[in-house]
Amino acid sequence: MNLSRPDNERTSKDAQYLQAATHDRIYPPGDLAIWVFILAELLVFAVFFSAYALTRANNAELFNTCQLTLDANAAFINTLALISSSYFVMRAVAAIREAKTQQCIQWLIAALAMGCVFLIIKSGEYVHHYQAGINLRTNLFYMFYLSLTFFHFMHVIMGMVILTAVTIKTRQGHYSAAEHTGVETGASYWHMVDIIWLILFPLVYIMR
Amino acid sequence: MRAATGTQIFYSIRPCTFVYLTLVVLSLVTWLTGQLGLSGLSISLIVLGLALIKGLLIGDYYMGLRGLTGVWRWAIIVWLVIPGALITWAFIKVQ
Amino acid sequence: MQYQSQAVAKPYFIAAIGLFVGQILFGLIMGLQYVIGDFLFPEIPFNVARMVHTNLLIVWILFGFMGAAYYLVPEESECELYSPKLALLMFWVFLIAGALTILGYLLVPYATLAEMTGNSLLPTMGREFLEQPTITKIGIVIVALAFLFNLGMTMLKGRKTVITLVLFIGLVGLAVFFLFSFFNPDNLVRDKLYWWFVVHLWVEGVWELILGAILAFVLIKTTGVDREVIEKWLYVIIALALITGIIGTGHHFFWIGLPGYWQWWGSIFSALEPLPFFMMTVFAFNMVNQRRRNHPNQAAVLWALGTSVMAFLGAGVWGFMHTLAPVNYYTHGTQITAAHGHMAFYGAYAMIVLTIISYAMPMLRGRKAANSGKSQILEMWSFWLMTVSMVFITLFLTAAGVLQVYTQRYTDNPQPFMAVQERLELFYWMREAAGVVFLIGLIIYIISFFAGSNEPEQA
Repeated sequence: MNLSRPDNERTSKDAQYLQAATHDRIYPPGDLAIWVFILAELLVFAVFFSAYALTRANNAELFNTCQLTLDANAAFINTLALISSSYFVMRAVAAIREAKTQQCIQWLIAALAMGCVFLIIKSGEYVHHYQAGINLRTNLFYMFYLSLTFFHFMHVIMGMVILTAVTIKTRQGHYSAAEHTGVETGASYWHMVDIIWLILFPLVYIMR
Repeated sequence: MRAATGTQIFYSIRPCTFVYLTLVVLSLVTWLTGQLGLSGLSISLIVLGLALIKGLLIGDYYMGLRGLTGVWRWAIIVWLVIPGALITWAFIKVQ
Repeated sequence: MQYQSQAVAKPYFIAAIGLFVGQILFGLIMGLQYVIGDFLFPEIPFNVARMVHTNLLIVWILFGFMGAAYYLVPEESECELYSPKLALLMFWVFLIAGALTILGYLLVPYATLAEMTGNSLLPTMGREFLEQPTITKIGIVIVALAFLFNLGMTMLKGRKTVITLVLFIGLVGLAVFFLFSFFNPDNLVRDKLYWWFVVHLWVEGVWELILGAILAFVLIKTTGVDREVIEKWLYVIIALALITGIIGTGHHFFWIGLPGYWQWWGSIFSALEPLPFFMMTVFAFNMVNQRRRNHPNQAAVLWALGTSVMAFLGAGVWGFMHTLAPVNYYTHGTQITAAHGHMAFYGAYAMIVLTIISYAMPMLRGRKAANSGKSQILEMWSFWLMTVSMVFITLFLTAAGVLQVYTQRYTDNPQPFMAVQERLELFYWMREAAGVVFLIGLIIYIISFFAGSNEPEQA
């Protein structure tokens, strides 16, 4: 899929950029250790998603009924928040590659703000459920819904901690156009948080 | 030298901005599906397909896996395909 | 040896090996009692042999961990131990308390031991693996506090490294979770819950930090790979070990009476517990492949690699085999559990202690870096004998377990426990034979300390 450059000459430049963007053409951006960690995290969620779907297969009626009690609007706003924050983080990486430290910091703060939006809205949903007396023991659907979203919630917090650390280090001038692995590492983790939600949102809130 | 850097950044941000807009549109479609109360196997699988495409875009463009050769190129794709297949199977089974 | 005070590790290591021998002897006695029920009865009944076998295991591994910490922390912190005298005092306190406890198990009936030690004042006895009299438990806490104080003060005045930090967190966790052995509520569910906090959060939580730290230390020393690289991997491994291990403990919770969601949480997270172990294997082999030098102590490198593989197989694969709730429904508390327990404890914790002993002992005994070639060859023989025989013990127990699960629980016509046990006899005999080979391996291991001790070091 080529969204930007239809003609050949530009496509090759695009490829050149990508070559420059990754350390060499074999490893993804950021520290390899975070990628090993990301894979492990993704595996947990893959198991959780599959377990949700397979359990639903045996309890379709229950899942379909309870799903209607969820606030899909809040989840949609949260989806927008995470997508935007991922985009902002991408812009932050692009900025530090150009040695634009100030811009990098601003993009990171914007991303963190989006993370806060997510946390606030999601907390609102949790309060609502709590007041309705819903907990992990209510039934299988809520068990999965609360487990999945809460585990993801913790990852949003974890990702924000990482991004905050990256922001502070950027401010202290630790990163440059030549050496900014730390920014890419934090960005990769954050994109992971985003990608998980992009599956979670339709699976738990919409698909029925 | 400076110009060259500029070109690089130009090429990196534009496609990613397109990706961003695509993600927003696809999410909007997903949300509307729920708002309109659409349900059923085919609808569910379309929504799932959109989600997998969104994941692929994030992996390729934001996480930078698109230009890679070797196993890491497949990291996100495999992660999307296997649970995607299991979820599809589970949804088909229930109908 | 770079620091004089590292020498306090030596008595700890010697005691560990001595108790290890005891553990194996009682293991063999008990293994025989599986097939000859009244062997050594009434002097050493099965329940006592079992208690001694498991308690000695825990105690010798704790001795090993303490020795490892006393050896490793001064070298990492680049300063002498805060108080070598305190370390030696605690050694004797721990050894005497341990010996008295074992003698108590062997010489008087358990109920009498409980009465003699004033268990009624603060009842903590009578639970599997936590059988120690309350005063012994208090002794363990005092030893642990003095030990942590000693290490903490050493670390404070010296260089702080990731390895000492991870090790220290692991040891603090070990001490903290042990405190749950003092909770003994009447509510059986809560009682079991706290019991798992000790038993499980030790071996699948904080002990993994200790294991990771010791392994990382030995790999840095023997391969010469950059500390930064090794530390980074250590971080990733322990993060995963903690996430999967702590939540994975939940795979026990549903069965002891906690809400149903623990079936899911426990199954899913514990199913991922092999991951950190697998990464440890990849990590160890990678580091050895990237080595910058060939360390003269090849036996230690063999132990380090062996640990990573056997920990993955024993803790990871054999644990995964029966962790999922639908499987565990049938296998809980059968010989499958015994198979897993044997290989996991040997592969992860016995072997890591043998690894650090193998690395440190030549220096503690006044050599520059390694034992003579002759000694190392014997040690490697003992490695293979013990490890391969442990693989066979595990396989025989697994076979016994599968048969047991089928005939006693899974089939349409389940048979009574004792009838099934008789059908498992052949496997128990084979297990016992493998156990004898293990003992031979252990004897050769001990001989390796004395063989060729006047010969020059392996180059």
